[in-house]
Amino acid sequence: MNSDKMLDAKGLACPMPIVKTRKAMNDLQTGQVLEIHVTDKGAKADLAAWSKSGGHELVETAEENDILKFWIRKG
Amino acid sequence: MTNKVAIIASNGGLFDAYKVFNIATAAAATDQEVAIFFTFEGLNLIHKEANGHLPLPEGKDHFAEGFKKANVPSIPELVTMAQEMDVKFIGCQMTMDVLGMEKEAFVDGIEVGGAVTFLEFAKDADVTLSF
Repeated sequence: MNSDKMLDAKGLACPMPIVKTRKAMNDLQTGQVLEIHVTDKGAKADLAAWSKSGGHELVETAEENDILKFWIRKG
Repeated sequence: MTNKVAIIASNGGLFDAYKVFNIATAAAATDQEVAIFFTFEGLNLIHKEANGHLPLPEGKDHFAEGFKKANVPSIPELVTMAQEMDVKFIGCQMTMDVLGMEKEAFVDGIEVGGAVTFLEFAKDADVTLSF
C-alpha cells in the first residue's frame, strides 16, 4: 500500500511507538497516509486505539518476520 | 475532542516512575491534556539529580538488565518528552517545605502548588490515576 511518510519505530518499547507516531502524524495533512514499522507487540492494540481516539483510520496492518506494519490515514 | 487526565505521583522508585510517565506520555500523544501532581516521594521523579538514579524495589536489581534489553527510554528522557507534549508538572509545595527543597532542584518548567491546584485541574478530568 502507498504511503506519504514512513516511520521506522523498530526496537522501541512502549510508549515510544505512539509518541513517535503522533509526532510523524503532525507533519501530514488530512487524508495522507503514514506507514509505521514496529517490533513492540503491544503496539498492535495501541496503534488501533490511538487511531480510533484521534479520529484517524487504521487502513491496513501486516506482519512480516516479527515486524508489524501499519498504515494510518490522517483524519 | 480533548480529554483530561489527572495523575498523582506519590512514590519515588523506578517502577513508579515508569508507571507515571508511560501513561502520561501515551495520554499526551493521544492529544489529551495531562497534569501530574508530584507529592512526597513522588517528587524524586522530577528531581534533577535523583530522577536519573531511581531505585529498583528491594531484591529486584536484576530487572535493570531487562530495562536495558527492552530498549526502554530513561526517566529523564521521558520527562523531557512529556514536557515537549505540554504535560503539566505540579510539585507539592507542602512536601517541598517539609523536605527543605527549593524549586530550583527540580526540572525546569514545573509549577509549584498545593492540593487545591491539583484538584482544580482534576475536578473535570475524564481519567484520574494515582501511583
